[in-house]
Amino acid sequence: MKIGKTKINPTKIICLGRNYLDHIKETNAPIPSEPVFFAKTLNTLVTDNKPIIYPKILHENQEYNRVDHEVELAIVIFQTCKNISAELVNDYIRGYTIFLDLTARIMQKNDRNIHLPWYRSKNFDTFGPIGPRIVPCNQIKDPHNLSIELKVNSEIRQSSNTKHMLFKIPEIVEYLSKYITLVPGDIIATGTPSGIGPILPGDIIEASIENIGIIRHEVILEGD
Amino acid sequence: MRIGYKEVNPTKILCLGVNYTDHIEETKLEVPKEPLIFPKMLNCLITDGQPIIYPKLLYNNPKYNRIDYEVELAFLIKERCKNVEAKNAFNYIMGYTVFNDITARKMQTKDITSNKPWFRSKSFDTFGPIGPRIVTDSEIGDPHNLKIELRVNGEIRQSSNTKYLLFKIPEILEYITRFFTMEIGDIVATGTPSGIGPVNPGDIIEATIEKIGTLTNRVILEGGTE
Repeated sequence: MKIGKTKINPTKIICLGRNYLDHIKETNAPIPSEPVFFAKTLNTLVTDNKPIIYPKILHENQEYNRVDHEVELAIVIFQTCKNISAELVNDYIRGYTIFLDLTARIMQKNDRNIHLPWYRSKNFDTFGPIGPRIVPCNQIKDPHNLSIELKVNSEIRQSSNTKHMLFKIPEIVEYLSKYITLVPGDIIATGTPSGIGPILPGDIIEASIENIGIIRHEVILEGD
Repeated sequence: MRIGYKEVNPTKILCLGVNYTDHIEETKLEVPKEPLIFPKMLNCLITDGQPIIYPKLLYNNPKYNRIDYEVELAFLIKERCKNVEAKNAFNYIMGYTVFNDITARKMQTKDITSNKPWFRSKSFDTFGPIGPRIVTDSEIGDPHNLKIELRVNGEIRQSSNTKYLLFKIPEILEYITRFFTMEIGDIVATGTPSGIGPVNPGDIIEATIEKIGTLTNRVILEGGTE
């Protein structure tokens, strides 16, 4: 796949949950003592302002009819890594981009409350918009001091700064690479700030991060 | 990657939990109303004869030092599909193989009870042995009537039959393709029967399914020698 002008072949997408203090407060979740991570699969990825497809099986079911936006700073892995220590992490990062971790919120809550996996609610096709480009590390002085914002129909819904991340990028990659071998192109999304909320067919979602740019996606109902 | 003589390039591995009636009785879990799906990542995959690496961070931590085998019948996707109807499901299946869904059990139990994702405990490197070969539809006959067995150091630990699958393969494929587009080579593991239990460095695990063959992997400690 291509993100901007860069061709990458990710094998996995790993996302952090509960990694912004403002978001943790808003969801009444406990502050994690170590990174909480989960997977999205590659069928979620969508680039170049292509539409986000709102699944019919959610839209037609009152019990599940809510999809939320979550804007996140993502990193793309540069070279294979396992057991990397935090101080070396920058050598293993190709660059930064914007990721939208779309989530079928009610389905996620129901599944979590009965101890089921956090999977299906996060992994509908097109539930992972990414882009608009990968900005190399040397062009972003401090990835932990970038304003991060999301608008729905031009109205600001999320507005924060990556300095509020609980676990910083070096710790995150060190932690993940203790578990998993990361390979070139793999995507790691670093969690979302407060202000998550629902989107609906017809909405225009704009997610932006300072020094990276903006991605813009229309939400359409499946089959339309 | 190669499984037997076949080159496949999976983009995802989806696994079913709680899908054998005998395993449900053993764990006293509630019978699920719909298939329970979780992912494993591609870094898990190893093939017949390659070692399963017991991670040091589990081995050295008494809170987490248990990893379990789970033998499963897996099927591979033949062509890109979405919204497949059960009656057409077999048109989208390339073949069948044996999968061992290795699980860091104590870590999984702790994560589940604290409402965390079922992920890290399932996706350590080498936690998804697969093989020894892919057997086609015509060779397998009825995939819901195959003996399935797992041995540790020659001793039988799991012994069942795929007829005890709660959700059958056509229903599984119909269900997952309502959610996710499946790609060529994607792997779906259909759940494990009763008898799950721990393994330790040095153990030899043999997972066998009738008409497919035996998948053999030795457990070694991370950093140790084979």
